[in-house]
Amino acid sequence: MSGEEAAGTVVSPGGEGEAGVDLLATHIVRAIGVRKIFTMGGEKVHALKGVDFKVERGEYVAIMGPSGSGKSTLFNMIGGLDKPNAGKVFIDEVDIAALNMYELAWLRCHKIGYIFQTFNLIPVATALDNVMLPMLFADMVQAEAQDKAVELLRKVGLGDRVFHKPVQMSGGQQQRVAVARALANNPAIVLADEPTGNLDSTTGRQIIDLLREINESEGVTVITATHDHKMLAVSDRIAWLTDGAIERYVSRDALDIQEGRADAR
Amino acid sequence: MPETEKIAILPYRKVFQIAWQGLRIRLVKTFLVTSCITLALAFLTYILFSNGMVAGVAERASEALRQRLAREGILEQMLSAEQRTQTAWMLGIALMNSFVGIVNAMLISVTERFREIGTMKCLGGLDSFIVKLYLFESLCQGIVGTALGMVIGLVLAYAEGVSLFGREAWTLLPAASVLRILAASFFSGVGLTVLGALYPAWSAAHMEPVDAMRSEV
Ligand SMILES: Nc1ncnc2c1ncn2[C@@H]1O[C@H](COP(=O)(O)OP(=O)(O)O)[C@@H](O)[C@H]1O
Ligand SMILES: [Mg+2]
Repeated sequence: MSGEEAAGTVVSPGGEGEAGVDLLATHIVRAIGVRKIFTMGGEKVHALKGVDFKVERGEYVAIMGPSGSGKSTLFNMIGGLDKPNAGKVFIDEVDIAALNMYELAWLRCHKIGYIFQTFNLIPVATALDNVMLPMLFADMVQAEAQDKAVELLRKVGLGDRVFHKPVQMSGGQQQRVAVARALANNPAIVLADEPTGNLDSTTGRQIIDLLREINESEGVTVITATHDHKMLAVSDRIAWLTDGAIERYVSRDALDIQEGRADAR
Repeated sequence: MPETEKIAILPYRKVFQIAWQGLRIRLVKTFLVTSCITLALAFLTYILFSNGMVAGVAERASEALRQRLAREGILEQMLSAEQRTQTAWMLGIALMNSFVGIVNAMLISVTERFREIGTMKCLGGLDSFIVKLYLFESLCQGIVGTALGMVIGLVLAYAEGVSLFGREAWTLLPAASVLRILAASFFSGVGLTVLGALYPAWSAAHMEPVDAMRSEV
């Protein structure tokens, strides 16, 4: 996925031409000047201070930053789960703010697959039912949905856990189910907020690799918000988020060169 | 993806399945809601049958029974205005209690499942799906609780009837009246439950996914 400016080095945010220039480019996600202000006890928290963020189709991007830097907030904006106070978010060149309730549900159902730190499986449902649910929301016929769910569970290595409930599975297995569920309706984007946050190092590594594998085999765009440095090695590009603003982008090639220093951060 | 025929019933089956499994897992809470309804309905059914029997005495009881009742003053006491208003009050309070109990339990059930609701909305679930989920859930509880309450009320009413009127208790109410009372009890029980779930279900469905998922952590 070598983008136009992937040729190395650190690219400063918002450095390239904003609008107009690359309207025809294949940006699956385009966030422009996104601001988010939370009011808490009369005090204003500027969680996002005008973030510009673009992702190309098929890219694997990590949004990195310390806790409280605004990663989840940005994740929610891109995923159409929350609305910015200012700025716009385009998914596949569609302005999310312009969508009504049904269109938004359609977008969440078909275009985006979500993965969360806490797995968020439906506790009373089996792995199979969890994976089938988004397909049923998409009005797929049950038999068809079932076949596909089994196939997806096999793909994530859970072919023998189809009828297990979340409590009967380890964290890593639950997150695999979540990955399968995220892929249910062939989304263009998989959004993962701290997907390894509740997993041990080895299991986390496996989930990261699984995401990369899916990214490569299906061409799905993967965007993860994380502070797990294991993510550095597999990402095409890293957006460093500090205090609600993107400090800089680092491309993969640049990372390989200064590997040691990137890890030391 | 071939746009094969859409079967609208399917999601319903799934809704039902999820709701039912949810009830089974949260057995203790399910039991609490259900017992709310059961108690109120036992009382309602009991009152309806008991009143029906007393009313039936005038037209259907044998001369001997009527004389005995008059002698003992039982009927007078049961038909007194004072007694009747007292019963009506108690009945009203019982039903209201059970209604509040249902609303309360459903609201708790909604709060406990914020994350689940938020997740479902992330997966593309519409508000109407969430509403259906909760209404199905309450419907199950309503039916079970009501049926149980009706049985208890019926047994109590006839036990008392037999002790007061002897074997004639069984003939004081014609079959049609019995059916009418059973139907009235059933529909008020189930109706009450579903009505109580309406607001909690609505409020769950209208939450934004972010709000739903944040509030539990
Ligand atoms: N709902 C909210 N209400 C108030 N403040 C919030 C809310 N959500 C996030 N914040 C604040 O916004 C900032 C960014 O939060 P978040 O996006 O969760 O960071 P991260 O995911 O990088 O840890 C933090 O200072 C956090 O306290
Ligand atoms: Mg976060």
